[in-house]
Amino acid sequence: MTVTVSSSGSAAQSDIERQLVRDRGKEDRRGRIVGSLLAVAPFVMVVVIWWAIYTIFDPVPTKLVAPSKVVDAFFELIREGTLPAYITQSLGRLSIGVIIAIGVGVPLGWLLGLDKDVASSVEPMLRFFNAISGIAWLPLAIAWFGFTDRTITAVIIYTMIFPVIFNTMIGVRTVPTVLRDASRSLGSGWFRVIKDVYIPGSFPSVMTGLRLGIGFGWRALIAGEFIVGGGGLGFLIFNSRTAGLTERVMLGMIVLGAVWLLIDRLILRPIEEFTAARWGMVRL
Amino acid sequence: MTAGNAEAASAASATLTVNGLSHWFIDPQSGSTVHALDDINLAIQPGEFITVVGPSGCGKTTLLKILAGFLKPLAGEARVHGSLITKPGRDRGVVFQELAILPWRTVRRNIGHGLEIQKVPKDVRAKKVAELTDLVGLRGFEDHYPHQLSGGMKQRVAVARTWASDPEIILMDEPFAAVDAMTRQTLQEELIRLTVETKKTVFFITHSVEEAVFLGDRVIALAARPGRVKASVQVPVPREGRTWETMTHDPSMAACVEEVLGLVRGEHEATLASESHANADAEQAQET
Amino acid sequence: MTAIPMPVLRTSPWSKVKKYALPIIPFFLLIGVWVSVIAIADPAIGILPRPLKVLQVPFQEDEYWPNVTASLGRLFIGFLVAAVTGVLAGIVAGLSRKFADFIGPLVTAMNAISGIAWIPLAIAWFGIGRGMVVFIVWNGAFFLIFANTVLGVRMVPEVLDRSLQTLGASRLHILRNVTFPGALPHVMSGLRSGLGFGWRAVIAAELVGATSGLGQWIFIAQEFARADIIVAGALTIGVIGLIMDRGLLAPLERRTIERWGLVESSA
Ligand SMILES: Nc1ncnc2c1ncn2[C@@H]1O[C@H](COP(=O)(O)OP(=O)(O)O)[C@@H](O)[C@H]1O
Ligand SMILES: [Mg+2]
Repeated sequence: MTVTVSSSGSAAQSDIERQLVRDRGKEDRRGRIVGSLLAVAPFVMVVVIWWAIYTIFDPVPTKLVAPSKVVDAFFELIREGTLPAYITQSLGRLSIGVIIAIGVGVPLGWLLGLDKDVASSVEPMLRFFNAISGIAWLPLAIAWFGFTDRTITAVIIYTMIFPVIFNTMIGVRTVPTVLRDASRSLGSGWFRVIKDVYIPGSFPSVMTGLRLGIGFGWRALIAGEFIVGGGGLGFLIFNSRTAGLTERVMLGMIVLGAVWLLIDRLILRPIEEFTAARWGMVRL
Repeated sequence: MTAGNAEAASAASATLTVNGLSHWFIDPQSGSTVHALDDINLAIQPGEFITVVGPSGCGKTTLLKILAGFLKPLAGEARVHGSLITKPGRDRGVVFQELAILPWRTVRRNIGHGLEIQKVPKDVRAKKVAELTDLVGLRGFEDHYPHQLSGGMKQRVAVARTWASDPEIILMDEPFAAVDAMTRQTLQEELIRLTVETKKTVFFITHSVEEAVFLGDRVIALAARPGRVKASVQVPVPREGRTWETMTHDPSMAACVEEVLGLVRGEHEATLASESHANADAEQAQET
Repeated sequence: MTAIPMPVLRTSPWSKVKKYALPIIPFFLLIGVWVSVIAIADPAIGILPRPLKVLQVPFQEDEYWPNVTASLGRLFIGFLVAAVTGVLAGIVAGLSRKFADFIGPLVTAMNAISGIAWIPLAIAWFGIGRGMVVFIVWNGAFFLIFANTVLGVRMVPEVLDRSLQTLGASRLHILRNVTFPGALPHVMSGLRSGLGFGWRAVIAAELVGATSGLGQWIFIAQEFARADIIVAGALTIGVIGLIMDRGLLAPLERRTIERWGLVESSA
């Protein structure tokens, strides 16, 4: 059998390819609304169960309160202005951690990813300190900085920086060497290779590290605010327990989850969609 | 004809010369030494399209990496116009087996990457990129990212990128191995047209004898373990206007395929006998 | 044929030295800085202890070992309960695609507020002490293990399942021979990260809600200006974490992955 492809045949084939590629872009948009309705459903279920437990067991208010009381507390704290203030405070502390973790962690991760000798020298020590959770340093941080914001910031940075460093490093290492070679044979010097190949190539991993880091940092922040106090969502939860205001404790927890979800949807996901997803580099 | 003498005679005028080139690797698993290339001698003339064919593992990629300047040979030397190859250079464009286009750049920016590196002004670059996009049939896809393209289209981007920086020599490592048989034939015909038009010196690696004969002015057959030049065969038909249609109906081409096949088959009976039939194209795609 | 002698290829002796020397250098540097700061600034023991004092803590402080065992005991119980409930619930949830999709967002949200945020409520429920710490450990580890198990079950190709069904295999047979082995690598990595999470949660919970345990001990030490105990405690927490992860769970995870012939990287 002979397969004959004339030049007109090749044009026809290109057209088919074009059509296929365009079709791929026209995916459904209708599923989204149904999807978001379904996403709310399990939370409705939890509230129903919570409410049922409350009515059946009738617990003392220090252990559990009705969902409606939490809603009341929400409006009350909004009216007082404490909730917005606490949210701002917690987010502010987290942001400082994020800025420093990116500013220091990402370049360090690049260095570790690019230079084998630096990596084999520094990596074991970083792995060791990573194994000590930031929270374990909280007492020492208090000894150094007292019950201040600096203590909380120090613990957040410590907690966030390792996942950022390690994931950046892995990101650089997993950039295929053939991309570097291709760039070099086009005439790139090392600076351009880093700029054109390694920085964008490691970006999806940097985002993974940042996501992990913010998740860990968010917990460290709560622990810090429990102990150090001075406002913030952690302080709200912890202090309200001491005062026996369970509705505020539960409100604080829900707000914690909601704020995390908002950070994810409004900041992290859009960045990922604009970069890694667009480049077809999203990994499981 | 013996390869060595012919190569030596024409070395003076050659674009690329390879003298007594040998290379070894340490096998990472066993720690033993692998003899990848043994005393390779080649001379490639300006504008010549050389195809290198041999079974997998015979050292084709190693040879290309040395010519590209990514790897230093342990013995012998490779030269471009008489000067020793020590590092990659813009004079030698490479099209890789693994495509190697950047996922985070659009088609337009991938094709223009080399020009961007050379600091070619934006408007000149845009013009050149548009020209090449047309040439490889990718108009309308300038703003697509590589993952939105089919395998054949990605390969066109890789080729266009290399052509855009206008290197004198082009090194290609089994560039069409990963695309389907139909697309491959189209790409091969396009490559003939492109190289005839632009008069590049090309060093093209493949493990398909048919591809080697179809594309090349001259076919170098490599033998395996250690990799060495077994023979150099001149293809009897000029490359201008070659299509798969003329190729399959030309008895001298068929004879040439038989000749090379005989050379390579003696070397690697079992694998290549099945691989080099046109029907087995799909299998070749997997073997990269 | 050729007369080129084969070169002798081997790695240079320098590379061996580098392999062992390089990782040690930063630790020496760190200790060097630590010792110099003490020599120059002579800080109070509540701020920075001498390295030797820190090393002596496990041998000279009577409370060291009881606190270590208290923390480990809480971790063990909490993690065990989390592993059993998480894997079982994960398999059940994973078997139904619809159910797994349904609770997906809830699990994500619970993961986001798991562990530390529950401490105050857990104190209200269980009082100060062991019950509360165990609950926090369970809470921290459960959702991770659960989510990973669901993922593992869902990743088992349905083709396998179907092809066995056509051979007349029973539901239980398929569960035992296809679903569980297929999900095991994911279950293992869930257990691994769950244990790491649990260990962090133990320390955090003890800091504010216990009368014993490493977390509580280092927190109290700060009030008594005993930085030697704080540093020794923190290092102990790190070493225990490393031993559990690298010595126990990472090899286990690797073994299951290798055994089932799946290629996956564990970062
Ligand atoms: N970096 C390397 N380390 C060790 N062995 C290698 C390396 N690169 C190639 N080899 C070995 O050298 C031989 C030739 O490889 P290669 O040039 O890739 O062959 P081909 O491209 O013809 O398939 C093979 O046996 C291969 O295993
Ligand atoms: Mg190869």
